[in-house]
Amino acid sequence: MSYLRHIMALVQKDIIAELRTKEMLNSMLIFALLTMVMFNFAFGSSSAMKAVSSGLLWIAFLFASLLGLNRIFVHEKDENCLDGLMLCPIDRSAIYFSKAISSFIFLSLVEIIALPIFTIFFIQESFLSHLWLLIIILVLSNIGLSVVGTLLSAISINTKARDLMLPILFLPVIVPILVAAVKSTELVLSVSSIDTQQFWIDITVWLRTLAIYDIIFALVGFLTFEYVIEE
Amino acid sequence: MKDRVTRRLLGMASFIGIFISLYTVFRAPLDKNLGIVQKIFYIHFPVAIVPYFAFFVVFVCSILYLKTRDRKWDKIAYASAEIGLVIDTALLVTGTIFNKPTWGVWWVWEPRITTSLIMWLLYAGYLMLHFSVGDIERRPRLTAVFGIVAFISVPISFMSIRWWRTAHPLIFTPAKIALGEALDMQMWIPTLIFLASMTLFYVYLLGQRVNMINLQEEIQDLKDEIGG
Repeated sequence: MSYLRHIMALVQKDIIAELRTKEMLNSMLIFALLTMVMFNFAFGSSSAMKAVSSGLLWIAFLFASLLGLNRIFVHEKDENCLDGLMLCPIDRSAIYFSKAISSFIFLSLVEIIALPIFTIFFIQESFLSHLWLLIIILVLSNIGLSVVGTLLSAISINTKARDLMLPILFLPVIVPILVAAVKSTELVLSVSSIDTQQFWIDITVWLRTLAIYDIIFALVGFLTFEYVIEE
Repeated sequence: MKDRVTRRLLGMASFIGIFISLYTVFRAPLDKNLGIVQKIFYIHFPVAIVPYFAFFVVFVCSILYLKTRDRKWDKIAYASAEIGLVIDTALLVTGTIFNKPTWGVWWVWEPRITTSLIMWLLYAGYLMLHFSVGDIERRPRLTAVFGIVAFISVPISFMSIRWWRTAHPLIFTPAKIALGEALDMQMWIPTLIFLASMTLFYVYLLGQRVNMINLQEEIQDLKDEIGG
């Protein structure tokens, strides 16, 4: 039980620190919005946009998450807080899970604001009746992005190139998440009724992919994180 | 001394093996549908299998390094990633050449080709990570962790033509091999010889590369000693 308490305390610390400056949240949000505006210029008319809207949505979220993940260890490293954390009598994996949970929370907050705006910009059709399905997709994808991103962010913070390294390591690893998230979002956005059997067969394949991916990488992170941060 | 003899022998064996393979490739009968174009299959297949093996070696050596902290495993993992990446490049190139006459286009975004490209990008990232960590104490740990993470692409790429319906043919299934439908008997011979000599060539390069890394470190130590 104390393991969970440790994680929660560290998450609380991250949230308080973030709320004091709001650096990361603001830049992620503005960046996501800017991406959408850029899409508008890059792809033009709305008829072409509609066909690829779920892809655009995920590209915007992905790059916003990249921006946030780049930052999660910067403060810890620059102010030598990581040494302090490592001196704490807690399991190293608790640090990993707390960082993953905080980046999950920040990413989800950004998405909660950006998704309605995206809908108004590009989709313009109500999908409120099956919004809950979209939320499941978002949650599963965010878990995947956070568990992989936290581990790789801890690796890249130790390199000379620092934040240049993260996209190169991160993007090819999360391709399966992008594929599954885009496909399932497309299904949810394009379908008129979710009661058909075919819809459920299609969507479970992608949701299962996301879930398996999350479990694998949460385990990999749990097992290897301590090797990344030790000095 | 003994190592050196082994490496020489491996090198000779793999070169002779590749010459024999090339000979058998052109002795094998022409494909009924594809004709002479099909010959590239004999190199396309081994350069597809060997990177899987090389990246599997990276994965295993990364785990072994984290467990034992023996620098030997780190050197093997790095050398294997480097060679795997080169052979994977050969895979993408031969694949592209194979595509044009058979499918009519150089590049198709279908699962097998795409996953091979992602695998290439991941191990290119692995090498970049290696160069980007200056601290030699820290480097093996970080690359080992990424070597474990990057391995996810290998089973995905391997299973891609089994999981999804794609344009890429699936030739080697147990059922097809048992029924003798996978390849003509005379096509099996060059395929297997080429695969064997390509694997030998990989082992030879791996030995050479690890030896080279050892020598580089020795030189560096000597330089540090004399204060150069």
